[in-house]
Amino acid sequence: MHPTSTARLPAPARAGRSHLEEHAIRALWLACALVAVLAVGFILAFLVVYGLPAFAEIGVLEVLLGDSWSPTATPPAFGILPLAVGTLLVTLGAMLFAVPLSVATAIYLGELAPPRVRNLVRPAIELLAGIPSVVFGFFGLIVLVEWLRVSFAVPSGESVLAGSLLLGVMTLPTIISVSEDAISSVPREFREGSLALGATRWQTIRRVVVPSALPGVTAAIILGMGRAIGETMAVMMVTGNAAVIPSPITDVLSPVRTLTGTLGIEMGEVAIGSLHYHALFAVATVLLVITLAVNLGASAILRRLNASATGRGSPSRLAAVLGRPRAGMAVPVLAAVLAAAVAHSVGGLLPALAVFAAGLLLLAAVPRLSRNQAEKAAFLLLYLAVAAVVAILAIILLDIVSKGLPALSWEFLTGSPRDLGRAGGIFPAIVGTLCLVAGAIALALPLGVGAAIHLAEYRRENRLTRLIRSGVDLLNGTPSIVFGLFGFTFFVLYLEFGVSMLAGQVTLGLMVLPTIIRTTEEALRQVPQGLREGSLALGATQWQTVRRVVLPPAAPGILTGTILSVGRAAGETAPILFTAAVFSQRHLPSSLLDPVMALPYHLFVLATNVPGAQQNTYGTALVLILLVGAVYAVTIAVRARYRAAGGAPG
Amino acid sequence: MTGTPAPGTIIETRGLDLWYGPCQALKEITILIPANRVTALIGPSGCGKSTLLRCFNRMNDLVPDCRVAGLALYHGADINAPGYDVVELRKRVGMVFQKPNPFPKSIYENVAYGPRIHGERDRATLDAVVERSLRSAALWDEVEDRLQEPALGLSGGQQQRLCIARTLAVEPDVILMDEPCSALDPIATAKIENLIDDLKKRYTVIIVTHNMQQAARVSEFTGFMYLGELVEYGETLQVFERPAERLTENYITGRFG
Repeated sequence: MHPTSTARLPAPARAGRSHLEEHAIRALWLACALVAVLAVGFILAFLVVYGLPAFAEIGVLEVLLGDSWSPTATPPAFGILPLAVGTLLVTLGAMLFAVPLSVATAIYLGELAPPRVRNLVRPAIELLAGIPSVVFGFFGLIVLVEWLRVSFAVPSGESVLAGSLLLGVMTLPTIISVSEDAISSVPREFREGSLALGATRWQTIRRVVVPSALPGVTAAIILGMGRAIGETMAVMMVTGNAAVIPSPITDVLSPVRTLTGTLGIEMGEVAIGSLHYHALFAVATVLLVITLAVNLGASAILRRLNASATGRGSPSRLAAVLGRPRAGMAVPVLAAVLAAAVAHSVGGLLPALAVFAAGLLLLAAVPRLSRNQAEKAAFLLLYLAVAAVVAILAIILLDIVSKGLPALSWEFLTGSPRDLGRAGGIFPAIVGTLCLVAGAIALALPLGVGAAIHLAEYRRENRLTRLIRSGVDLLNGTPSIVFGLFGFTFFVLYLEFGVSMLAGQVTLGLMVLPTIIRTTEEALRQVPQGLREGSLALGATQWQTVRRVVLPPAAPGILTGTILSVGRAAGETAPILFTAAVFSQRHLPSSLLDPVMALPYHLFVLATNVPGAQQNTYGTALVLILLVGAVYAVTIAVRARYRAAGGAPG
Repeated sequence: MTGTPAPGTIIETRGLDLWYGPCQALKEITILIPANRVTALIGPSGCGKSTLLRCFNRMNDLVPDCRVAGLALYHGADINAPGYDVVELRKRVGMVFQKPNPFPKSIYENVAYGPRIHGERDRATLDAVVERSLRSAALWDEVEDRLQEPALGLSGGQQQRLCIARTLAVEPDVILMDEPCSALDPIATAKIENLIDDLKKRYTVIIVTHNMQQAARVSEFTGFMYLGELVEYGETLQVFERPAERLTENYITGRFG
């Protein structure tokens, strides 16, 4: 289309060496990503293969729907139904308790809290997410269960209610954090648009903000649910572990046993290779299928949410949100009926009627309120919920700190345990935990960062990338007890590591791998595409661009993920229960194949099996909290500093 | 086309098609870009001018689902051929983006980044390259005493000239500019336009712009694009004063509908 072409300069030649290097590096990251996927596939296949004999011998329906689990009876019965019902009840109870409280808190934090309060409460809640579940279990056993026993005048407080309340508290931080993210990322134009039309703040929150954030809040709830279903230690310590279906089903003071609890209790004592052994794998398979379904559901919702947020359809989205029909009265009426049923089974007919009447009264009153009264009432409820959350968390921390402090002494921190841990110190447990964590991170960090670089930087969205990402999601949703089961059978028994530090490190490493991959990938994606283009446009190779332009700004994010993983690995009990931990050891481990003591396991045994060790138990709990808390505090500080540095020029 | 001496062609496309997924963004583009001249691409939003620009250094590789057919030649070599060294291409064909995108490093490090990744380690050479590039980008006088300060502390116009300096430091022979002034105020815009005028002595500049006055001021050749097609292409004076196509005339005179 334009005149003559004349003198031609030589075309760019290929640079040989750097090409080879690029290909090698690219292959390395791909290999990291593939290892992650293979690990998932292997774990899944392993569980299914080991569970198959149980299904084959007993029958699929008998296993899934059998209403009796008594492996030691003659003849033994391996019906999973009571366990699944137990898990379901405890989880449902936890959600009934946690969802209103945490969504209210999230709304408060996202919409109403003054910045100073928000900046204080938000990290505090994140800190709570880091408290190891065995600490919650210990608190539940000592305080909550006892309180239930006295207040309801029952022989034992170990019950559905105790499990629900405790699990509810444990899922608060997850649901609050993720919901608040969703609420805060509702575009400001939505709020301004609504307020400009003369809506009150509460109307704006209720009709615009919360509906817009609904997919995110839903995902938060599902994630919390996933955590509740997969939780082992805390549940095992407070639900009584009787494999029965409560009768009536609304009897919240009945003991139950969950799927996870069964694995935690019986795996250590089962005869290897027996039908019971395979039945436990069947339990693990069922558990895994449930949690995976729940977690995949959540990540699908989050992914769709992200996709629509980056699209350009904001106005139509607002319209869609405003035009959505409301659920109407069904939900509150259902809630009133449910509350009445529970009150009936706990206290009899009179409290049930009272609860139901109160519910109806409330429903009748609400539509009569004026706009301002409604706003006041709503905000009051929000404040009450926030106060309840803060109070619960404060009570737990105060109890452990006040009773744990007297135990702390130089001897306690540096000595070995004596008299079954009633006296002496916990030094070997501290060392053991540090070794386990160091090994796990040394394994997971290079693999995880490599896989994330592959996913974020060398992406060609194709079937392989999707496979890798689903693999990471699957691994992320796997309950920690399942890792423990896998580690025990594969590393300890099959590879003949024995109960050893190495087996624990590898198991924990697998467990934190998805956290590292996800946070790293997230951090890499935060780096503006413009920087990559700027570097590539200067003729930098892909790897030069990643190394010099993308990784430096992503480093704080990667560090955050790593520290979070350290905290998680330090606090987890279930994965090391059968793979690495022993209760008492005179000497420090001298090789990777020695078993180790570990803080969470030590706490678990002291709390459940050693009467009269209360002071040292509290001391161990406090040390564990301090350790994990310190790790989280560092994370939060790093991020705050990074945010501050990113905000100002330079 | 008329009296001007026919310059050598440095970039050329023949029947270039491009799709984003199912949407065709470029249709049968055939264009010859003369060396050491300023060529402007104009047209309404979404007409494909930026997409075409990004074909010249294969920046579209980064866009998922993007497919190219037809020929794009740089110095007569097919840049989409398998085995063609895209890194080397981007070194030769530099790019300045719509939004200034300095790296979160110091001013000095931003400019030195290119030479460094291409293997230059000698400090004195780097110093010289940085100074020369910043001078060429008409930024030296404003930043010479704060080279170690973060680039993000510069104003928008300065950041954009820094990005130009960063491109010059690699010593390309073509500079692609994707609406380089759209995020800038009129004074900063004037500075960049003067700069472009200087640059054409040594470089081939291809500039995408929304602003027709800007195209008229800085370019010698102008291509008008509409809905993914190159409607008209010729000397700027002729395109603006005696457009051959009705569509071009409507666009230039603001009677667009």
